[in-house]
Amino acid sequence: MTGVIVSIINGLLLGAIYGLAAIGLTLIFGVMKVINLAHGAMIALGMFALYLLVSWLGINPYLAVPVVGVGGFLMGFCIYWIAVHRVIGRAELMSLLATFAVSMIIVGVGTVLWSTSPYNVQVDMPGLSIGRYTIPGNHIVAAVVAILVAVALYLFLYYTRLGKAIRAVASNRQASELMGIPSTRVLAIAFGIGIGIAAVAGSLIATLFPFTILSGASYELKSFVVTVLGGLGNPAGALLGGLLLGLIEGSVSPFVSVSWTPVIEFSLFVVILILFPAGLFRVGRGR
Amino acid sequence: MSDTILQIRNLEAGYGEVQVLWGTNLQVTSGQLTTIVGANGAGKTTTLRSITGWVRPSGGQIIFEGDDITRLPTYRKAELGVVMVPEGRQLFGDMTVLENLEMGAFSARARAYQARNLEKVCHYFPRVKERLEQKAGTLSGGEQQMVAVGRGLMSEPKVLMIDEMSLGLSPLLAQQLFQTLKELREDGLTTLLVEQNVHLALALADHAYVLAEGQVQLEGPAREVADNDEIRKAYLGL
Repeated sequence: MTGVIVSIINGLLLGAIYGLAAIGLTLIFGVMKVINLAHGAMIALGMFALYLLVSWLGINPYLAVPVVGVGGFLMGFCIYWIAVHRVIGRAELMSLLATFAVSMIIVGVGTVLWSTSPYNVQVDMPGLSIGRYTIPGNHIVAAVVAILVAVALYLFLYYTRLGKAIRAVASNRQASELMGIPSTRVLAIAFGIGIGIAAVAGSLIATLFPFTILSGASYELKSFVVTVLGGLGNPAGALLGGLLLGLIEGSVSPFVSVSWTPVIEFSLFVVILILFPAGLFRVGRGR
Repeated sequence: MSDTILQIRNLEAGYGEVQVLWGTNLQVTSGQLTTIVGANGAGKTTTLRSITGWVRPSGGQIIFEGDDITRLPTYRKAELGVVMVPEGRQLFGDMTVLENLEMGAFSARARAYQARNLEKVCHYFPRVKERLEQKAGTLSGGEQQMVAVGRGLMSEPKVLMIDEMSLGLSPLLAQQLFQTLKELREDGLTTLLVEQNVHLALALADHAYVLAEGQVQLEGPAREVADNDEIRKAYLGL
């Protein structure tokens, strides 16, 4: 019984990180109606950025996480101008293809640089023992950081002028321009934040598991499941959706083999899409 | 006193293949309430949208305080003080009324007056004051229109353009809003009003333009336009 509880706790800890990753995806969609197919590639880049910072400069991995976040923001800001700006407001297929192309480029370059063999970042963090089970310390720290970043984003969006401007542009871009809000610049910033959050999520995952340049793909898929659970375009829902996904993973993993996890997740994905197309949670959104 | 603050010269604009404005000329005098009246499809809304940049003019010039602002992006014009309250209110529905008003004061110039203007809005629209913490999307149509005008006032406008303020409102509410406009005008606000309620608009305005088929057919003091029987029959359907 203790084993199941520990498994559920581990699942929730991971779920917080899934939730953070999904926030990056859902923020971008919520503000500019772009489904960012480069999301997984950005998560993978976040992993490698952490690896490089730690192995080259020898900094503590947790101190490197904010650096990765800032780097991700700058990268996202540039990608917006290069690949996304011109397809905003066009047919959805255009932005899907544009971001998919970005993803292919990043994964391609990453494969050249690092091949597809696994890397890992060594983190020494005492765990929490419960009976004969242990909750790894790095999982606890990563989950706490993920939740702190999510809360920081919430405070930013609801209590700062720029954050409110992002919500205003998301709500009605044309009207926001009438208020003197430079909406294009705001979109670029929002895209940068979304990518920065994806990169931070990637760097947190890198403190837990070995990874390759292709690892982003599975987290991108999890992000889609999470956003469907939480409602696309809803950051608070994404965090709850992530926790729910983690809870499900944690509850089933003691009983079935690991290979079954994606089968269960994606069956759930389809069922929820059919039964609750707007997501399970409608937090913080009037509509 | 009769300074021209906004001047539109030979404006041409439209949507895709459809040209709506065919060389529209008009002037807005500082401190006055100017109105554009005309039938549906005459180009009234398109004129306002061209001034803000929502619609890109294909020809002509928009001169504001002596500078050509025709090609400036919408947000730059708002920063300068060319502010529009759009048709259909276009509030940020899932943000609170207060947040909507704060966004009105986004530009650096308006930010300096944010506290003063918020007080002003609450003074002119006591109903808005009661609803500051409510989501804008949950308000009634009349309250939303008040917030929309209030949001425009928060932008510290030098010219406030209002598109179809009374649309969808009860006659009583429309009258109240026009009363408020009158007070604002007396306080020195320069306004350019597009309004399907011709009676109210002409009764309130200093100067009126009659627009038909994308051109100004007649202009003059609002009272004269209102009293001109031919105009009333030919263009205003009165």
